[in-house]
Amino acid sequence: MARDTAGGTGTESTRTGVGARLAAVRALLSPRTEAERERRRVAVMSLPYFVLAIFGAFLPLGMLARMSLSENQFRNEGFSLDAWETLATEPVYREIAWNTLWFATVTTTFSVLVAVALSHALAKYDLPFRRWIVAMVSFPIALPGIVVGFMIVVLLGRTGLLTNAVAFFTGGSRIDLATALTVGGLFLGYAFSLIPRATMVLRGTFEEINTDAEEAARALGASPLLTFYHVTLPQVWPGVVAAFVLTFRTALAIFGTVLVLPALNVATLRINLEIQDLGFNLAVASAMGLVYFVFIFGFTFAGVRLIDNESLKI
Amino acid sequence: MSSETQQDKQVESAVEAGRQRRGGLHRLDVSATVGRPVVKLVLGVTLTFLMLPVFVTLIASFGTTWTGTLPRGFVNLENWRTVLGLAEGPGVRDGVITGLGYSAGLATAGMLVNIVVGVPIAYSLVRYDFFAKDIVNTLAILPIVPGVVLAVAFLRMYPEQGGSTLGLIVGYALLKSPFMILTVQSSLQSMNLQRVEESARSLGASWTRTFLTVIVPNARSGIVAGCIITWTLAAAEFNFTYMVHSAGPRPFSLFLYQNISRAPVLQGAAAVSVYFLIVTAVILILQTTGKAGFTTVERK
Repeated sequence: MARDTAGGTGTESTRTGVGARLAAVRALLSPRTEAERERRRVAVMSLPYFVLAIFGAFLPLGMLARMSLSENQFRNEGFSLDAWETLATEPVYREIAWNTLWFATVTTTFSVLVAVALSHALAKYDLPFRRWIVAMVSFPIALPGIVVGFMIVVLLGRTGLLTNAVAFFTGGSRIDLATALTVGGLFLGYAFSLIPRATMVLRGTFEEINTDAEEAARALGASPLLTFYHVTLPQVWPGVVAAFVLTFRTALAIFGTVLVLPALNVATLRINLEIQDLGFNLAVASAMGLVYFVFIFGFTFAGVRLIDNESLKI
Repeated sequence: MSSETQQDKQVESAVEAGRQRRGGLHRLDVSATVGRPVVKLVLGVTLTFLMLPVFVTLIASFGTTWTGTLPRGFVNLENWRTVLGLAEGPGVRDGVITGLGYSAGLATAGMLVNIVVGVPIAYSLVRYDFFAKDIVNTLAILPIVPGVVLAVAFLRMYPEQGGSTLGLIVGYALLKSPFMILTVQSSLQSMNLQRVEESARSLGASWTRTFLTVIVPNARSGIVAGCIITWTLAAAEFNFTYMVHSAGPRPFSLFLYQNISRAPVLQGAAAVSVYFLIVTAVILILQTTGKAGFTTVERK
C-alpha cells in the first residue's frame, strides 16, 4: 500500500512545479491514503519543534545577519560592510580565532583521551560503587561555566587548596603559586566541563562492545594493550569520533568559565566584550556571532557525516 | 556476519602483532601488569579532580576564614545566612530565595514547552522515515545555536522582550530541548512502536488517542528523566541569561555570578553550595527513575 503511493508521488513530481506543490499541500491537509496520513502525522508532530526553532533561532539568526550589515548600531539601517571589514582586517580578531580553535582542539583531545580510559574502566572493570562513580562523573554536566570557574579557583586560586598546600610544603608565596588565572588553570576548567560530556558519549559505545572478540584475543596470547589497540579501539572508533565532535562543539561554546578565569581571549569572551564593555558594538558582535554559528554548524554537519546517528548521545 | 569476520581479523592481527614481538621486544609490553592499574589511576585522579573542589566548597562554606591551607573556624553559619538573605552581606543585594524562585518558574515553563515540543518530534524521529530525516534529527538533538550567539540574536530580534520572562523561557526551551528529545528517543527505542501502535489501532483507537493514551504513558520514564535534566540545566543557565538580562527579577545564575565574582570566597562557596544541593537532590531522583546521573544513555 505504502509502495503504491510512493510510486504515485513519483509521477506527480514530473508535473509542473506548482501543480506538484499544490498536490503536496492537498495531501497534507486532507490525506487520502495511509502514506499521506503518515506524512501529515510527521508534519504535525514536528510542527511544535519547528515553530520554536523558527521564532527562537532561525529568525533571530536572520536578523543577526542583517544587523552585521547595518550602518546604525541601534537600528537596521542602510547597508555597510564596516563590521565585516573590521573583522577581516583587524589582527585582534585573527588572534581570537586562532586562540579559540587551538585551545578547543587541545582541551577536546585531552578530554576525549581521559574519557576513553574512564569509559573503558567503567565498562570492563569490576568497580565497587559503579553507579555512584557514573553519577559523580556526570555531576559536572549540570554545573554552569561560572561554577566550574569557581571550582578551579577553589583548587588553584590565591586561597586555593592546592596553592596553599604547595606553598606550605615549599615555602613559596601563595600569590606566585596561584595558577587559576593562567592558561593552565583555564585548561583545567575546560577539562572539568568536557571530560564528563565525552565520557557520557563514550560510555554508551563501550556498553555495546562485543566482548567475545576481546576474550578470544586475550586467550590466544595478545597482551591487553595489543587487544585494546587491535580489537577494542576499532569497535569504539565511531563513538570516539562522536565524542570528539560533540566535545569540540561544547568547548567552542564555553563562556562562563572563561568569564571567571579570563586567561585567554576566545570568541565568546570577545562577543561579550563587544556588547558590554567596548560600547554597544552590535554590528561587530553580530558578524562575529554569525561566523561563529556558521563554523559550528558546518563543523557539526561535516562531523555527523563521519558518524552514524546512533552514536550521537549527550 | 561481516562484523564477525571483521572481528576475527581484528583478533588475528592482535595475536599476530603479539607473536612478532615474541623476541626481546615483547618484554617491553608491560600492559598485562601495568595496564589495569594505570587506567584505574586515571579514573582515580579524574574523580578526585572533579569531586575534590565540590566537597571543599561545601565544607568551606561553613568556615570563618581561609587564610591558611585549610578553611578554619567551624561551624560558622554566617555565609549561609547571608546567601539565604537572612543577613546583610558584602557585594550582594539580596538573598537567593527570590532569584531561585524566579529561575525555578522559568525552568518549569521551559520544561513544559520542551514536553510539548520534544515528545512528538522524538516519536516521529524514532517511528517514521521521512524526507530529510537525518538533518532534522541532527538539528533536534544538538543545540542549534550556542547560548552566547543566541543571546546576541535575541537582543536584536526582540529588543523589548529578549530579556523578559517570555524571552528567557523561549531561550531555555530551545537551548535545553536536545536533552528532552534524546532521553525520550532512547526510551522509545526500547519499545516495538509499530506493533504497539497497530494493536491499539486495530482495537479501534484513533491515532491521536493511541499516541496520547498508549505511546506517551509507555515513554513516561524517558519523559520524566528529560524533564528533570532540562529543568536543572535551565535553572542555572548562565551564558544566555547573562547576555540578555536587563531588567526585572534577577535569575539564580546571575545571583551565583555576583557571589562568585564580587563576594568573599567563603560566601561564594555557600552560594555555589546551594546549587550543589539541588543537583545532588536531582541525581538522587534520577537514580530512582533508573538513570545513573546526567546522562541520556539508557541503563542496560
